[in-house]
Amino acid sequence: MQEFSPSTLLVLVPLLPLVGAILTVLLGRTLGAKAHLPAMAGIAAAAVVAIALLVATARDVGPAHGAHAEAVRPVEMISTLWNWASFDAAYTPPAGSPATDARLTPRDLAAAEDVRSFSIPVALRLDPLTATMLTIITCVGLLVAIYSVGYMHDDPGYPRFFALVAMFVFSMSMLVAASNFLLVYVFWEAVGACSYLLIGFWFTKPEAARAAKKAFLVNRVGDFGLAIAVFLLWMTYGTLDFHDTISSNGVIMPGILGQTRLADAAGYAGGAVGTAICLLLLLAACGKSAQLPLHVWLPDAMEGPTPASALIHAATMVTAGIYLITRSAPLFAACPGALTMVSIVGATTALVAALIGTVQNDLKRVLAYSTISQLGYMFASLGTGTLLGFTAAIFHLLTHACFKALLFLGAGSVMHAMGGVIDMRRFGGLRRVMPITAATFFVGAAALAGVAPFAGFFSKDEILAALHSKGWPSAHGDHHAAAAADGPFQLVAFSTDAAHATVTAPAVGLDALDRPETWQILFWMSLVTAGLTAFYTFRAVFMTFTGPTRVPEGAHGHGGHDDDGGHGGHGGHEFYESPSAMTWPLMILAIPSALVGWLLFSTNWLAHFLSATPSLTAPAVAATATPHVFHMNLAIQGTLAAAIGIVVAAIGHLGRRSDGPQLERFLGPLQTLFANKFYFDQIYSALIVKPLEGLALVAALFDRHVIDGTVDAIAGLPVALGSIVRRSQSGLLQRYALVGVMGVLAIVVLLTWQLRG
Amino acid sequence: MNTMQSLPLLQNALTVGAILFSLGLVGILTRRNLIVMFLAAEMMLQGISVSLVAWSRYHGDWGGHVLVIFVLTVAACEAAVALVFVLQAFSRTGRLDAAAWQSLREANVGRTIDHELPAIDTVPLRFPTLTPAGVLPPADENEPLQREHV
Amino acid sequence: MTPLPFDPLASGPLLAGAVLATVASLWLLLPNGRDTTSARWLGALLGLAALAAFIATGRRLGGLGEEAVFLIVSLVAVISAAATIVSRSPVYAAIWFALSLAGVAGVLLVLGAQFLGVATIVVYAGAILVMFLFVLMLAQPAGLAPYDRVSNEPFLSALAGAVLLGVLSLSIGRLSAGPASCCDLPTRATATVDTTAAPATAPVATVVDPLAENHVARLGGELFGRHLVAVEAAGVLLLVALIGAIAVVSRGEAAHAAEATTAKGPAAGRIAAR
Repeated sequence: MQEFSPSTLLVLVPLLPLVGAILTVLLGRTLGAKAHLPAMAGIAAAAVVAIALLVATARDVGPAHGAHAEAVRPVEMISTLWNWASFDAAYTPPAGSPATDARLTPRDLAAAEDVRSFSIPVALRLDPLTATMLTIITCVGLLVAIYSVGYMHDDPGYPRFFALVAMFVFSMSMLVAASNFLLVYVFWEAVGACSYLLIGFWFTKPEAARAAKKAFLVNRVGDFGLAIAVFLLWMTYGTLDFHDTISSNGVIMPGILGQTRLADAAGYAGGAVGTAICLLLLLAACGKSAQLPLHVWLPDAMEGPTPASALIHAATMVTAGIYLITRSAPLFAACPGALTMVSIVGATTALVAALIGTVQNDLKRVLAYSTISQLGYMFASLGTGTLLGFTAAIFHLLTHACFKALLFLGAGSVMHAMGGVIDMRRFGGLRRVMPITAATFFVGAAALAGVAPFAGFFSKDEILAALHSKGWPSAHGDHHAAAAADGPFQLVAFSTDAAHATVTAPAVGLDALDRPETWQILFWMSLVTAGLTAFYTFRAVFMTFTGPTRVPEGAHGHGGHDDDGGHGGHGGHEFYESPSAMTWPLMILAIPSALVGWLLFSTNWLAHFLSATPSLTAPAVAATATPHVFHMNLAIQGTLAAAIGIVVAAIGHLGRRSDGPQLERFLGPLQTLFANKFYFDQIYSALIVKPLEGLALVAALFDRHVIDGTVDAIAGLPVALGSIVRRSQSGLLQRYALVGVMGVLAIVVLLTWQLRG
Repeated sequence: MNTMQSLPLLQNALTVGAILFSLGLVGILTRRNLIVMFLAAEMMLQGISVSLVAWSRYHGDWGGHVLVIFVLTVAACEAAVALVFVLQAFSRTGRLDAAAWQSLREANVGRTIDHELPAIDTVPLRFPTLTPAGVLPPADENEPLQREHV
Repeated sequence: MTPLPFDPLASGPLLAGAVLATVASLWLLLPNGRDTTSARWLGALLGLAALAAFIATGRRLGGLGEEAVFLIVSLVAVISAAATIVSRSPVYAAIWFALSLAGVAGVLLVLGAQFLGVATIVVYAGAILVMFLFVLMLAQPAGLAPYDRVSNEPFLSALAGAVLLGVLSLSIGRLSAGPASCCDLPTRATATVDTTAAPATAPVATVVDPLAENHVARLGGELFGRHLVAVEAAGVLLLVALIGAIAVVSRGEAAHAAEATTAKGPAAGRIAAR
């Protein structure tokens, strides 16, 4: 890697998809059916570069040292491209803020004096977190692009789709590579715009247009939070850069996530301001990652093309919230209350979404709620604030990206074969007519359900462990000794020892939430969610792929294997499998979905790698490092929950007609509640949409009658005056001339009078 | 003429120019006949020409003379084009009346009509006549009679 | 050359009287439908009175001969001009205008503009006026048309013209020979003359007309020297006017031929038949 400087390579990752997008736009009509080539080439090249960067970064981090976590040297590389904006004397540190706080060293004070200029450098950063995210984004993006060649092949908007996908890969790469909160905000909006355009890709369909609008508007709430958070960060820290910068006179200006501030134990604002920043960041993350209460847009976003759903609304864009919170880990670490809120939001979302998912009949909607639920898992993990929690969240993000992309692409394959039908009650037993899709979908489902040894099992186990370590600290308290005694496979005893619930200082406000009891509840919620996840996942698998083979009218088979010529597919002998451009990504994605969990867990590579991320080397986070152990009893519990879920699903659906009576009828009124998605849309409609519409109506009436009336009255004044003067418009030329001459004469007389004597 | 005082000559000539200009203005404003209006316009130009030449004389500069030559040129052009338009207007309305073109007025303003017109000019116009000579041509009954008034 | 006991130019009453007389005279003389001879006579008398007032406000020139010549030609010009605008018959108006042109040419000659005086006669009286008369012959209906017997707002128009004349006379009277504020011409002998201060005692400053010598040749040199581009532009303007007039006539006739049958009025029919 020494031939190419990493900074050059880092620029290439976003640049190549951008070039691909522009070329696709320019040449799209010319290329026609080959319009995918520029975008795909750009994303593929970006994927290669991203993997190279991952390897280079991993080499810098160094190998993992056994099971013992130790202080890892932070690894980061900054590449400043140009200075976007620069203003002098823009910032005056408010009194009492950290920038003028007496705790800061004189060097910091000197820096604070110097920092009073506002500059937004366009700087890209490379660290383990960014490298991981870039790899996920570009690789999933590449597979989705390949898949789309088959899925979108006869769509009139073919070039537009690939241009948007490449544009999205560019925006998302910039989002995770930007080293500045303002740039993060810019590309946060950019991915939102790409998402909007892709949800509304079939904009002639009213549902798609409405869904796109809904996604955009709901995301505005989160974006608003991010904007306010950025303002507060600027007021509090006097900079928006992540990294330290060196001013012209050689003073180090500490960035928000720079080494200087990270090394300072008191470098981050706590209290009200810090909590406010963290909660606003959480609001932003909730919007983008579809967490309660802003989750309502994601299920509707499934109106977009399935590849876009797989790429944006399952694997990458929705993880932007996870990325943001992980990146801001030191900020959150200073505010335990906000951290707890992250977990509460996450666990609640996970449970609610899972409950809704259990009664959905639309295959893509099941997956959408599953995505919300899994993202909730990641939030719950992040909220623990421990190194294990953060790495587990990213670990789950990685495995989730693999298996959820796989599941979505599989659902897309089913939808493609069924002629656009996605209601699970209208088909069944597809494993006989779509063997590759069925097999790969099963792998993905097993990974999602947390069946050992598929990927989701390990990442979910780590998340449960992170939650457990907060709920029962004593069980993890002397982990060093325990690890030494028991080896990597450690049995963790449950404990409800209240002694550990006492906190050293009386916590107030949100911080009071950070109690073991809270975490115990969250742990149990997550465990229940795990069972529900397994249930709805395998319910979908059984409904779609088992039972008597049925395909809806209008599905396009590819010629029967025998000659009975049965149409409609009740015979089940026609071959409906999707083209190879669609099945190859499925098979490729099935491999990591099955294996990546075990690989990364057994070697502990990812956790070690991520721990070198500067944000995670903050003392408050790094101090929580725990040895890498396999929590056998947690694994047993998780597996048990998954097994219960699968068994219940099998009882209800295995081998039955998918349009038959369903198991959920036993839920009674609860089923109505779940099927109506806890009435979130209705509540929002009643509480927000309808009042706003009323307000808008009042405003419209005011505008139409008061403002327009005033304007009309003003406009009527000249008309009224004109109707008086109009009588003098006789049409007689000489009369006009006389009036003109008299006017000139008046001026002349006046001038002569003024110039007299 | 060389002994004349320059400033009084200038003032007197300017006064003549002003009188001509003002009379032309009054003519333009009052007379309804398009031809007479043009005559009045030419009269205004004459007033200007006199003033220009007077200033030229006063300052000993050729500018006034040159300008008057251009005024002559423009007057010729104007007369040519304007008379064509007068003819066109006449051929449309049958009158040389400036007030015949009133259609630019507002819709709710009525047409201006001349009232209190004198019946017929009581003063008979006399024109000089040439002494008849030669043989009187035979009169043609169909040919329109010679107008007795112009 | 005896000076008046008071400065005539500063005499407001004289000027005001002249303006009032002008208004009354024009109002009486302009065609207004009355057509009574007494009114015309009264108007003519008032007009002469106004003229006399203006002559009284005038400056004395260098010599009696010059004064007489200037007075005669300017009177011819002004009186014929007034007759032009008050004539009922457009033909009379045109003839009066020709006489007025002769007077103007005389004034120009007095001012030393020999070429322009002749050119005015040749171009205006010889060409333009004849063209007017041709048009009159073509278009004038028999007898006095009604619109020739009435005027448009005679009083207001006369007032406007007279007030303009008064204002201009006032401004002309205020002209002094001091250093011209508006122009940066080289100071000449005339610039030192202050007639208002001591018109009697100061020796009569005579000035040689710098433009008089070799007049026409030098005017030609000036025209085709400094103003060559303007002369060319004027030539183009003439050509354009010529072509434009022809074009309008031909197109107008073509368009008019269609409606000739329905045209109202004998004149229209005659034009179309021709």
